[in-house]
Amino acid sequence: MYRSLFPALALVVATALPAWAQSLAEPEGEVILTVSGALDVTNVGGTAQFDLEMLEALDATTFETSTIWTEGTHSFTGVSLDTLLERLGVEGETLRATAINDYAVDIPVSDAVEGGPILAYRMDGETMSVRDKGPLWVIYPYDASSDYRSEVTYSRSIWQLDRIEVMQ
Amino acid sequence: MSNLKASPMRLRLLITLLLGAVGLGVTLYLSTAVVRDLRLLNSARSDNVQWTLSQAEVEFLEYDLHLNTSLGNLDPDLRTLRREFDIFYSRINTLRQASIYSALRDVPEFSRNLRIVQTFLDRTVDTIDASDTALTGALPELIERAEAVRPNVRQLANSGLNYFAEDSDRRRSNIAVTLMQMAAVVTILLVTLLLLALYLAYLNAQNVRRRAEIVQASERMKIVTGTALDAVVVSDAEGRILDFNAAAEQIFGYSATEAIGADLGALIVPDHHRAAHVAGMERMRAHGEKRVVGKGRIKLEAKRATGEVFPVEFAIQSAQTDDGEIFIAFLRDISHRVKAEADLVAARDRALAGEKAKTDFLATMSHEIRTPLNGLLGNLSLLRDTKLSARQARYIHNMDTSGKLLMNHISDVLDITKYDAGKLHLRPVPMNISTLLQDIIDNQSGAALAHDTTLDWGWVGPPADWIHADRDRIQHILMNVIGNAVKFTHGGRVSVQAEVLRAPDSTPELHVTVSDTGIGMDDTLQSQIFDDFLTGDSSYDREVGGTGLGLGIARRFVQALGGGIDVESTLGEGSTFLIRFPITPIAAPAATGPHRRLRSGELRPSRVLLVEDNEINRVVAREMLVAAGHRVTEAANGKVAVDLAQNKTFDLILMDISMPIMDGRTATRQIRDGNGVSARTPIVALTANAMAEEQQAFLSDGMNDILTKPLTRDGLMQVIANHVHRDTDPPAFAKDASKAVAGAYLDDLRETLGIEALRPLLDRFVTEVNDTLAFLADHHSHAPAEIAARAHRIAGSAATLGAVELRAGLIAVETAANAGDEKGMAKAIAALPAIWFVTRPQMRADRDDAPDA
Repeated sequence: MYRSLFPALALVVATALPAWAQSLAEPEGEVILTVSGALDVTNVGGTAQFDLEMLEALDATTFETSTIWTEGTHSFTGVSLDTLLERLGVEGETLRATAINDYAVDIPVSDAVEGGPILAYRMDGETMSVRDKGPLWVIYPYDASSDYRSEVTYSRSIWQLDRIEVMQ
Repeated sequence: MSNLKASPMRLRLLITLLLGAVGLGVTLYLSTAVVRDLRLLNSARSDNVQWTLSQAEVEFLEYDLHLNTSLGNLDPDLRTLRREFDIFYSRINTLRQASIYSALRDVPEFSRNLRIVQTFLDRTVDTIDASDTALTGALPELIERAEAVRPNVRQLANSGLNYFAEDSDRRRSNIAVTLMQMAAVVTILLVTLLLLALYLAYLNAQNVRRRAEIVQASERMKIVTGTALDAVVVSDAEGRILDFNAAAEQIFGYSATEAIGADLGALIVPDHHRAAHVAGMERMRAHGEKRVVGKGRIKLEAKRATGEVFPVEFAIQSAQTDDGEIFIAFLRDISHRVKAEADLVAARDRALAGEKAKTDFLATMSHEIRTPLNGLLGNLSLLRDTKLSARQARYIHNMDTSGKLLMNHISDVLDITKYDAGKLHLRPVPMNISTLLQDIIDNQSGAALAHDTTLDWGWVGPPADWIHADRDRIQHILMNVIGNAVKFTHGGRVSVQAEVLRAPDSTPELHVTVSDTGIGMDDTLQSQIFDDFLTGDSSYDREVGGTGLGLGIARRFVQALGGGIDVESTLGEGSTFLIRFPITPIAAPAATGPHRRLRSGELRPSRVLLVEDNEINRVVAREMLVAAGHRVTEAANGKVAVDLAQNKTFDLILMDISMPIMDGRTATRQIRDGNGVSARTPIVALTANAMAEEQQAFLSDGMNDILTKPLTRDGLMQVIANHVHRDTDPPAFAKDASKAVAGAYLDDLRETLGIEALRPLLDRFVTEVNDTLAFLADHHSHAPAEIAARAHRIAGSAATLGAVELRAGLIAVETAANAGDEKGMAKAIAALPAIWFVTRPQMRADRDDAPDA
């Protein structure tokens, strides 16, 4: 119901208020994420492009967790997939996430829940270079639930992320 | 409790179920493990880890390709080159750091190649990060380095792939093992389930069989209780009836429908047992105390529907059931049996009562016959002392013989009665058996002489003179047997031999053998000789007489003494009787001379109180005493005797035992207990009852001696000699006597009428006075007018005969009676016996005191 109500609400908001929530400013710095496909909010040529600053402007989520790819526990900060999809008015079922090296994996939209995965842009408070699996790394809170400690989830934890295609 | 009892079966079931559950749990766990392993296996197949290893080589090749592309190009795409390097760098970093590769890093080949690649990266990174110009210049060198490290990258990927291939194999084999384990567990589980199924099937079959058995047993039980002759009543601990069989319905008169559910106590317990029943049930519920349950047969009463109470015999058992304790009572209506028993007891009692009545009748009759017979014999004795012609003397002798024989027969009957009634008691006294035998031989020698028979006796072996035994009984036995021998022996010999047999460790036994050369007996007679009412040869019978009880009594006496009597006899040759009984030898008693020599000359007149209700006996005794010169005061019963003894001094009191108003024993006790002037006077019992325990009782009452009836002159004289003190003061009433009677009147009459005519007059007077005194003694039951008239009449007679004091006394009675002064009359009557006591001896026809004989 929430999802079906949202377009109508968005329309009302769009006509009545300044369109800051609706529109997305064009990126000023290096684009690190391009979202394409079925989404309501775009900024560049039918896609939503983000630089680090734009992502950091969205509500940030921070949690600590260990990963199978790192040693020990680290603090990860980023925008939650839930927040991002909401911001972009994503309607689709599946997200095709692709890395810089063209590694691609499908993430179901149903994964995007509160307390779910984030698009981490900081590890232990530092931005991540490509050499450190940056600049964006999909991190699930592995320690919070055993459900996230599965091969499937590990395969969805894509690093060096730079594109998301929303598929119907 | 009951759950625990049934536990073995349940325990087995529980264990089987537990095994099944454990098997199921293990199976589930293994299934989960298999599923997990399969998923892991599945995941591993698409694992990006392996892909990552391959990707490392791909990304290296991308970088290498880009280097070679950039070399010949004037404007190389350095940005892409740098990104390719970074991606490869990141990949190697991941391999170096990621925890999932830690196992892989332990593989030496992988580790070595990783180190080489890392070194390559570390050397190259500065060049990559340098300015575009520098980088462009360094391209050839970078290509060279990449070529150099290329085999290592290749090996890195390969060694990793080998590891994962092995790892996969290991996982697969793990799964195989898990699957096999699961298969085994499933097999075990299936077997367990199969066993469980078999066991359950067995249990089920068993249950079915048991249920059938229970149903069958229950049916059988129903038939048994239904057809039982005894009532079967089942109740619970509260006393509510649970079952009530057909016999119970019949006995108690309730239908089972009515009875079941009702309270047992209210239904069948009689009202007067109800409280005890309720208390018993309460006790049992509270403390489990069972006084009736399980105690076997008990006789009690029960109640029918009609309210009729009847006797039952019952037994109660308890049993534990799932519904609590129940009680099963088996009751039997025994009213018929009880009635039959009661009838039987009544019949027995009637028979016993009849027997007792017969015995009592015999005893009473013997006694009653003996009393007048005593009178007859006594009077005969007196008559013999009068002047008689020779013929008269012979007749008297014959009468005396017959009378004594009759007395013996009666005594025999009495003895048999007593023995059969168990009342024959021994009265052992010190006695000399030699003396007794000698006396008997002396006694029988006359008869023997008459039969021309020699009679002798003697001891065989050492004699035993003094023994402690019942002299009278022994005398009776010996007299009977010896007498018989003499009786049936004519012109022969009767020999009596006595012998003491002293066996060690036992009481000495006296054997008396009586042998005769008489007529003897045939076997039939021998076998019957000790029976009652048996008489021997009829011709002798006529001659010697006899009730036929003699030997029967002898046998009884010998048995009473603890011995026996036997006979051996040959018809025509003679008989030998053996009498044997245990004896207690004693030392000869000191010769204290309890019997004073009786010499009539030494006797002085004694004052004797004669207490006897039978007038004739009293007269006989009185006459004997008076004839011996004694002064006799008579009393017709104990009460009179007590009154007399209170105020008058007597030297001796002869006391009959059974009398009306007051018997001799009571009178004796009252005299002894009182403080009258004759309280210490010797009292001698006169009795026909010679029973030992009675005689002992007489002595304990305070009597000094016993004189057995019939009285004999010698017996009387002996008693007086034994008990009257010689130094007694002269009679205190001597001078009173002179006042009591005006002797002149009697003298006149004597002269006028003559002694012979006076005697009956006086006798009649004495009788009349005695009667009157007896009449007056009972004055309460007579009218005063009658008393006055009687006193008046006797007073007239007394005046005629000169009994002045008696007359005055009678007049006083008459006056008081006429005046209605009861107290005065009683006092006057009470004074009469004393007056009569002194008057009576003087009412004699002959004046002198000399005896008639």
